[in-house]
Amino acid sequence: MDIGLLGQYLANGVMLGTMYALVAVGFTLFFGVLDVIKFSHGDVLMLGSFTGFTVYIGVLAMGIENPWLMIAVILLVSIAATAALGALIARYLVLPLKSAPPLNILLITLMLGTAIREAVRLFYPDGSNPKAFPVLLPTASVDLGGFALRADSVILVGAGIAVIIGLNLLINRTRLGLAIRAVAQDEETAKIMGINYTMIVLVTFAIGSGAAAFAGIMNGLYYNEVNFGMGLLLGLIGFSAAIIGGLGNIYGAILGGFLFAGLQTVGAVALPFASAYKDVFAFGVVIALMAWKPTGLIAERSSDRV
Amino acid sequence: MKDKTTPKTGWLGLPPLAVGLGAVAAIVVFGWQFLLAESEIAVLGLVALAALGGWALGKTGIQDSLNEAMRSHNRSMNGAILLGLLAVIFLLGEEHFPLLMLTTMLLYMTVALGLNVQFGLTGMVNFAGAAFFGMGAYTSAVLTEHTAVPPLLILVAGGAIAAAIGFLLIVPVVRTAGHYSAVVTIAFGVLFKTFLEVNDVLGGPQGLMVGPMKLFGWDFNSSPMLLGMEMSFYANYALLGGGLAVLAFVLTQRLERSWLGLTLDSVRLDETASACFGLNVVRAKVLAFTFGNVLAGVAGALYGMMISFIAPNSFTFADSLLMVSIVLLGGLGSLWGTALAAAIVVLLPEKLQILQEYRFLLFSGLVILMLLFRPQGLLPRKVRSYFPSWRPQQ
Amino acid sequence: MKFTEHRRTFLSAALAASLSLALAGPALAKDTVKVGFIGPLSGGVSNMGLGGRNSAALAVALRNQDPNAKYEYELEALDDECKPNVGVQVATKMATNRKVVGAVTHYCSAVAMGTVDIYHKFNMPMIVWAAVLPDITYGNEYPEVHRVNGTMINQNETAAEFMTGQGYKTWAIIHDTTDYGKGHNKYFSQFLTEKGGEILGTFGVTSDQQDFTAELTKIKELNPDVVYFGGLTPIAVRIRQQMDKLGIEAQFQGVSGIKSDAYFAGLSGDLAEGTVTFLEGAPAAKLPGGEYFMAEYEKAGFGEDFEAYGPFAFAAMNLLLDAIEEVGPDRKAVTEYLSDVKEHDSITGPITFDDHGQNTVALITKYVAQDGQWVVWEDSEYADGTRKLTGK
Repeated sequence: MDIGLLGQYLANGVMLGTMYALVAVGFTLFFGVLDVIKFSHGDVLMLGSFTGFTVYIGVLAMGIENPWLMIAVILLVSIAATAALGALIARYLVLPLKSAPPLNILLITLMLGTAIREAVRLFYPDGSNPKAFPVLLPTASVDLGGFALRADSVILVGAGIAVIIGLNLLINRTRLGLAIRAVAQDEETAKIMGINYTMIVLVTFAIGSGAAAFAGIMNGLYYNEVNFGMGLLLGLIGFSAAIIGGLGNIYGAILGGFLFAGLQTVGAVALPFASAYKDVFAFGVVIALMAWKPTGLIAERSSDRV
Repeated sequence: MKDKTTPKTGWLGLPPLAVGLGAVAAIVVFGWQFLLAESEIAVLGLVALAALGGWALGKTGIQDSLNEAMRSHNRSMNGAILLGLLAVIFLLGEEHFPLLMLTTMLLYMTVALGLNVQFGLTGMVNFAGAAFFGMGAYTSAVLTEHTAVPPLLILVAGGAIAAAIGFLLIVPVVRTAGHYSAVVTIAFGVLFKTFLEVNDVLGGPQGLMVGPMKLFGWDFNSSPMLLGMEMSFYANYALLGGGLAVLAFVLTQRLERSWLGLTLDSVRLDETASACFGLNVVRAKVLAFTFGNVLAGVAGALYGMMISFIAPNSFTFADSLLMVSIVLLGGLGSLWGTALAAAIVVLLPEKLQILQEYRFLLFSGLVILMLLFRPQGLLPRKVRSYFPSWRPQQ
Repeated sequence: MKFTEHRRTFLSAALAASLSLALAGPALAKDTVKVGFIGPLSGGVSNMGLGGRNSAALAVALRNQDPNAKYEYELEALDDECKPNVGVQVATKMATNRKVVGAVTHYCSAVAMGTVDIYHKFNMPMIVWAAVLPDITYGNEYPEVHRVNGTMINQNETAAEFMTGQGYKTWAIIHDTTDYGKGHNKYFSQFLTEKGGEILGTFGVTSDQQDFTAELTKIKELNPDVVYFGGLTPIAVRIRQQMDKLGIEAQFQGVSGIKSDAYFAGLSGDLAEGTVTFLEGAPAAKLPGGEYFMAEYEKAGFGEDFEAYGPFAFAAMNLLLDAIEEVGPDRKAVTEYLSDVKEHDSITGPITFDDHGQNTVALITKYVAQDGQWVVWEDSEYADGTRKLTGK
């Protein structure tokens, strides 16, 4: 296989990996803070993309033409809206169920994800059809010996990695991050230390959902399409990625995201007859990994109260 | 242990058994009319009637009489219910679609019972219920088209294949717990559908045709004659499906009431403590998982033969979620609750066409409300009674 | 006293119960005949389904306005979502309903393939209005199955001839893995090789696939003149989009499945420009009854366009209604009538069913995407040389 082809696959893999990593980081944040799996994450992402699309229509109607300005407005509004939604979900659906068996929260968020997906399909005008997300990034491309390195891919990957690094810095270097980590480690002690527990939980959910919205817009800009079902598979992949890397660990989530993208790419390359087998391959490996390491590659450091 | 209370006089002075039989008859008539109802207003009216009935049961003391009847006259009540089911099938007689719906409901109920054993009793969430259902259906498709295996054995084969493929998942499912095991089954469910879609051998997205069920030479696709009346051929499937559902119900009930059921319950409540008490946790989990999958596989095989056409799109993750909803709505570990929830989830959207499009939204919303406000389900599971006629002193 | 308390509740319950039962009373009998329509009313190709449904509804409404009609017709439209399993469900529902005498069914060939057995099992006559897979009529011997539109055989033959005539030499073929896509692949490959074209590679994709990077990367390597896609609009949009992203500069050629306005709605910029596709039958305006149909459709004020197959749906429904008028609302009689249709007048021209219930539609129209619309090739600026197709 020549370098050009390899380069193309690599570029695509990196692109997917960044997106998955963003989603996985969200899952891992939620789990770390509240010990919950918020399965509606993928569909919240989809909602973020649709919000972005709606904002685009609005912005266009207002007469703004500069693509960079448009992107900024879209990102701002959809991240804010999705963050607010995430906080709402935490406040009304997750926190009340804190004392219930953890599986209940998984179930309730799973059902919530389905409800969001169906709501968009049914109530958004022409919701069941895919929508053409506008081309806002520059379309210039550099031909590197057989494969086209497109400017928009570079920008997206760069932005994605910047966000991941930003989140990392937020969690590890700021006071807010310190509070989040404290709550994740020990809820009661954190409360005793004067940390506003509810506020921190809501903020964490907001951050995670905002990151998801960013990933959704990225997805929309890359594929130039948003549709109501995109959240399900992305959510599942993000979840698997977070699990592979070990829940509660940001580095694990990032690792998991790129690993899953790598698996998909290897599957697409190695199984030439149908690239759709790549999903089968990737999920099969995930299941096998779970069998080998039940709590993920970077194992959960937790103890169980007997 | 002797029953220390005096035999209760039931509602309005009638003996509990009469009340019980009356209730069964009422449900039979209701079910028959409901399945036949065509206009939306009729259906809404009947649903309102049912809701009213459910509310009235609690208020007017009929509920206690029914419980008493089920407890002390177990055999007769069970017999009456069985007769009631047969009566509905015969009353529906020539109507194709209502019988099809009834049988679909019975088959979904069977799968949900299996899922209930996995989830309600043992605490193992299975988000791949539709996948195992599909395995049974595809088994029947392949075996009826390419081999001469007698169809009754095909049902068994459906269950066997589902169990065998379930074994592939056993290691990850048993070793993981909680959300980790959830991800395993979810991944498997998605994997299954994708695999079927890309695989041309099993028909790909176009699906496969399935041959009909034949029992001792009698082709199920031919209409049976009863008392000179030509019934819909779906009646055959309804009878067999009903028998399957009853069998599944009886098996599950026996399992729940046995030592095995007790083991499963304790594994669900606290794995570490169970292990400390010497219970073989791994064996219990494997048993529960396999039992549920077998039920799903057998039901799937019959389903395939009944609708004679299957495609990967019938067995998606959303359908698995629907089955989990049935278990949750009815109440974890509650068998009658599962039956009721299956009726609601399968029949209601079919009858109320306006609901058909909104059904996923509706049921996910319903489950969310259930989990928030009434997590024990519609018909909560009762405290285990060690001896059928014993009740703790109130 | 507990007893009287119960009695009160019981009485009020009984009152409410009887009220509910009264609502549930049986409907009054009428001299109505029910006919059915099945098509994709939701999902990626819903605009085609809705166009067909509106056309069929128009036919029923016009017939009901006719004072000479013997019956009052009622249309029951069901949604098959372009999914075989859903199609089978709704087909069973319609076919088991004895009140429905016949139906006009299916845009998606994949769905029709699954449902033909059901129509035969329950002896319900049906006329296909848009599905083009030949096997639907030729793959079985069921008297109930008929079709007014053409099959994909003619379409692909004309396509092969036209494109090789334009001077293209090499092709990469992408098709969806349903029977529809596979059918297109089979016939196009056959005719293309006959006419001297060279197929560099064939790729199957699933009908809900999102990412085509793997296939398109390989195609880029093969560097064909034309990329042919046998499938429906949603996937065509994605492929065209991603072709551009990867910098593939080949001519994009589609089939009747992409001849819809949704193709333009889904693509940004001028990506759609220059795509060619083919459709059986003349464009609506040039059909024998085209002007009449278009005027009536406009008058009825439907929200959606009648799209490529609306006229066929209209013609099919009219044929069904003619049959019922002639022999009465009896399934067997209608089936017999339909098996003997010769030179029956309709807006798409005279309909004749061969021994497999298939109507012959010989004319294939070539379309090219120009300025956000499908324009008949001969009328376009590409034919007279003002614009050029890719690579020419």
